[in-house]
Amino acid sequence: MSDTTAIPGNSMQMRWKGATEVIAPLALALAVAAVLLLLAGHNPVEVYRLLAIESLGSVKRVAATLAAATPLILTGLATAIAFRAGAFNVGVEGCVFVGGLAAAYVGFTYIGLPSVFLISLAVLASVIAGALWMLVPGVLKARLNVDEVVTTLMLNFVAISLTAYLVNGPLLAPGSANSATPMVAETARLPRLLPPSTLNLGFIIAVLLLVLYWLWDKRTALGFETRIAGLNSRFATSSGIDVPMLIIKMMLLSGAIGGLAGGIHALGTVGRFVSGFSPGYGFTGIAVALLGRGSAVGIFLAAILFGALATSGATIQLFSDVPIEIVSILQGMVMIFAVARFGWIFTKRRGAR
Amino acid sequence: MIDNVIHAALVMTTPVLLAALGGLINRVGGLVNIGLDSMMLAGALIGLMLASITGSWAGALLGAAMIGAVLGLLMSLAVTRLQANEIIVGLGFNIAVAGLVRFFIKTVYESSGTLALPDVARLPRIDIPYVADIPLLGAILSGHDPLTWAAWLMVPVTAWFLSSTRAGLRLRATGAAPQAARALGLNPLTIRDASTVFAGLMAGLAGAYLSIGVVGIFNEGITAGRGFIALAAFYFGRNRPWLTALGALIFGFFDAFQIRLQGRGIPAELVQTLPYLMVIVVLTLMALAVRSARSKGA
Repeated sequence: MSDTTAIPGNSMQMRWKGATEVIAPLALALAVAAVLLLLAGHNPVEVYRLLAIESLGSVKRVAATLAAATPLILTGLATAIAFRAGAFNVGVEGCVFVGGLAAAYVGFTYIGLPSVFLISLAVLASVIAGALWMLVPGVLKARLNVDEVVTTLMLNFVAISLTAYLVNGPLLAPGSANSATPMVAETARLPRLLPPSTLNLGFIIAVLLLVLYWLWDKRTALGFETRIAGLNSRFATSSGIDVPMLIIKMMLLSGAIGGLAGGIHALGTVGRFVSGFSPGYGFTGIAVALLGRGSAVGIFLAAILFGALATSGATIQLFSDVPIEIVSILQGMVMIFAVARFGWIFTKRRGAR
Repeated sequence: MIDNVIHAALVMTTPVLLAALGGLINRVGGLVNIGLDSMMLAGALIGLMLASITGSWAGALLGAAMIGAVLGLLMSLAVTRLQANEIIVGLGFNIAVAGLVRFFIKTVYESSGTLALPDVARLPRIDIPYVADIPLLGAILSGHDPLTWAAWLMVPVTAWFLSSTRAGLRLRATGAAPQAARALGLNPLTIRDASTVFAGLMAGLAGAYLSIGVVGIFNEGITAGRGFIALAAFYFGRNRPWLTALGALIFGFFDAFQIRLQGRGIPAELVQTLPYLMVIVVLTLMALAVRSARSKGA
C-alpha cells in the first residue's frame, strides 16, 4: 500500500510527485545548511557523513536513534491527527510537559504497586493529563470558533511555566537544588530493549500506535469522517457528520498522544520530571507530521530522520568542532520548506490568493 | 519603591510594545506573525555587535532594524510567494534562527550562549529636569531612553496610519478582502510583504532594546519568549493600537512584578502564565459576544 493515497489517482507520475514533495524540503534544507557549514569552515560532505555514521553506523547507534525518535513518533502522530480533522494544534509541546509530570508523579508516589499496574497507571495519568490539556482549546474551537492556533500556542507557555512552578515548589525532590521531582520507582521504569541503550518499551508502543493510526485512517468510518471533515468541513456537515464533536474528539486524542509522549519520555528515558523537560519535542512533531505528509509510514521515517539528527548531532560535537546547532537549523528549515510550494517556479501560475 | 516598579514596568513594556505594534500591522495586512521572537533574537545579537563595533547606539538600532526587516522579508516571501502556511513558517523561523544565532556565536566568538562585548554603546537615558523630581510623574516621564519614547509615539501614529491614511486603508483592505484589493488594482501580496518587513523591523528594534537598552550583553534566552508575549498583546488588543499598548503595559507590569514577587510567597512562574491565560480569556469573551450578538439578531 503506498502512502500517497491523499493524492487522487495512483499513476507513476503521482507517485513521483509524492516522493519529490518529501525529498525536496529535506534536500533544500541540507543544501542551505551545507552553505552555512562551508562558511563556518567545515566540510559539509564530511559532516553529513559523520552524521550518518553516528546515527546508523552500528547497532548501538541505531538503538540511540530509535530512542531519540520515540517521542517524535508520538508528537508527530498527535499533530497529524489534529491536522487531519482540520484543527491546527500547535500545543502538543504543552501536552508533553503535563503528561510527563503526571506520569512522573504517579511513578514516584504509588511505589507500592506491582510494576505492571504502576506503569499502566502512570501511562494512563499522562494520557489523561494530555487530553485534558487540549479540552479547553478543543471545545473553544468547536463550539465558539476560537482560533485554536492561538489558544494551543499560548497553552504551551502556560504548561511550561506551570510545571516549572510545580517542580520548583510542591513536587520538588527533597534535598534537591535543581528543579526536578524525585526519581520514579524502579518498578515504574519502562523495560529497556537493548541495554545499555535507553531504547525502551515506549518505542514499541509508539510503533503500535502508528499501525493503529494507519488502520484507523484507512479502515474505519471515524477515520474517513475525520479526513472528510479536515478536507471540507462544509461538505462533511451536509453529509451528516457532527464536525464540532469530531474536532473535540480529535483534539482530545491529539492531546492524549502528546501526553503519552511525555509519559514515555519520563518513565523510559529521564526517570523523573525536570524543568525544561522537553527540548521542543512538540514543535519537532509538527515538522515530523508535515514532512511525513500525515501518513503513518511518513511519520515513522520523518521521526527516525529527526531522531538521527538529534542523536548524531550530540555526538559529532564531541569528535569535531561542528556546533550541534546545525541540527536546529536543519529542523527549522525542513519545516519551512515542507510547507512551501515550489510548483509555481515551473508552471508560472498564480495562486488563488 | 512604587517609582521603581513603574520605571521597571515601563522598561519591560517597551520591547513588547515595539514588537506588538509591528505584529499588529502585519496581522491587519493578513499575516499572523509567529516568527516575531526570531526577529527579536537576531536584532538583539546584531544590535549588540554593532554597538560594540561602531560605538554608536543609533547605528546599532539601524542594524537591528535591518536584520529584522530582512528576516521579515524572507518569511513573508515564503508565505506570499511559495504559499507556505504562515504558522508553520513562523515556528520554523523561530527554531532555525535560534539555531543560527547559537551557531554563529560559537563559530565567530567561540562562546556558547552568552556574548559580552567590549565598549558597547548603551541607549542613553533622557532625564527631564524638574519633572524627574516629581513623584510618580518623574518615574513615568523621566529617565527613559529614546526607543521607549519612540515606541509610545508609534501608538498614536499607528492608530492614525490605519484610520486616516490611504496606505492604511489599503493595508486594511488587503487583510480583510484580498480579492477586492486586487480588483482595485492593488497587489495584496506586495502590500502584505511590506507589512511583514515592518513587523520584522519593529521586532529587530525590540531585540536591540533588550541587548543594548536593558542588559548590555547578549544571551540566547534574552527574548524570554517576548515575541510571543507581543503576539498575546496584539491578540489582546484586537488589532487596536491603544488596546494593544494597554496589553503590552499590563504584561510589562507582570514582568516587573514577578521579579519583585520572588521570595514573597507568590511564585514567579505562575505570574508568567498570566499574559497567555489573559489572551485565551479575551478570545473566549469575544467569541461569546459574537455569538450572543448573532442570536439576538436572529
